[in-house]
Amino acid sequence: MSEHVKVITAADFEREVLGAGQPVVLDFFSTECPPCEALAPKFEAAAEQFAGRARFLKIFRQENRELAQRLGVTGSPTVLFFDRAGQERGERLGGEDIKRSAIKARVEALLGDA
Amino acid sequence: MPTHDLVIVGAGPAGLAAAIYAARARLRTVVLDESVAGGQVKTTHKVSNYPGFPEDVKGTDLAAAFARQAERFGATIRRAVEITAHDLSGAVKRLELDEEETVDAPAVIVATGARPRQLGVPGEAKYRGRGISSCATCDGAYFEGKEVHVIGGGNSAVEEALFLTRFARRVTVVVRRGELRAEAASVEEALAHPAIEILWNSAPRAFAGEGALQRMTVEDLSTGQTREVPTDGVFVFIGSEPRADLLKGLVPLDPAGYVLAGEDMSTPVPGLYVAGDLRAKSFRQITTAVADGTIAALAAQRYLKAAARPAA
Repeated sequence: MSEHVKVITAADFEREVLGAGQPVVLDFFSTECPPCEALAPKFEAAAEQFAGRARFLKIFRQENRELAQRLGVTGSPTVLFFDRAGQERGERLGGEDIKRSAIKARVEALLGDA
Repeated sequence: MPTHDLVIVGAGPAGLAAAIYAARARLRTVVLDESVAGGQVKTTHKVSNYPGFPEDVKGTDLAAAFARQAERFGATIRRAVEITAHDLSGAVKRLELDEEETVDAPAVIVATGARPRQLGVPGEAKYRGRGISSCATCDGAYFEGKEVHVIGGGNSAVEEALFLTRFARRVTVVVRRGELRAEAASVEEALAHPAIEILWNSAPRAFAGEGALQRMTVEDLSTGQTREVPTDGVFVFIGSEPRADLLKGLVPLDPAGYVLAGEDMSTPVPGLYVAGDLRAKSFRQITTAVADGTIAALAAQRYLKAAARPAA
């Protein structure tokens, strides 16, 4: 996996997402999930593009069920966007048709809100 | 010189069958896909009617096998690339990838298939990924011990309803008619299954919930009465709609948006072919997609040969 994408667990959520001080893109993924595999290279490319300006994190849903439930995540992949203050913003992206350009547009919007 | 002899758009069964034939004919072949290889097959939990597999085969395994076979003969499969610009009308057809790279070729086969059709009822977009799904293999495990609904009565709906019984406590199939259109073997299994219930002559009308999906409004089509039912998850399998965006304005479409093509998969644009689910036809199966892909590759091969030959 790309050096720009970090895998976290529910225990890291407060620190890595809410306290990042940067926009955060968080991807809930599962195994046996072709759309998740399809997203991975696009997610990594976006992470590289925004390196140093936004954080790209992944979390394995099967081992972090409670957090998924708390956030109302019921499908994989689901991509959530958080602003610098750790507030979730905008619509989530999910399913097979997540485009790299859609991730890019949302991160740019978060960066523009400074 | 163009980068390739043949560009195939879409790495589902049609595109990969075309790639196998083209690569074996020694055409410089690239297959482009927005996702990983396999098209709609890769999210089908099992395939029972594809010849050559006397036992059921997982959709994801079948998709991977198609891809490996194409790659073995030298086709390149580009995964997770987005086509950001294109011109398919000329003698050399160009496609821009991710705004940073261009591939071109004298022949293109568009095999972009179809995407799951949406219901188009209030709340559907809001709760997609928050309880509404089109992929049972991806999301079924989220509903361990829960109560889910499957919308639709065709093969996919019934097969995926059976699959969901591995996780869900109860699976209710909501079907518009008084019968299931799926293959008889699956219908028998579903009707006999203790965890599956059928809501006949019914259609969803709205979705609601606080944060995540919690309730669905269902209309009884025989009386016109609606009622609200509690639900934890809804899986929608009501067929598909063509992904013909690349071809809009370039080739004739039928009223539903499927591409009208010749028996040899050709379009009115020389060197431009279609194959698979996006083509206007009566039956959309893995086997028929593979047949389309085969024909398109052979027709493209003949076209390239004729184009290379100097005019007599």
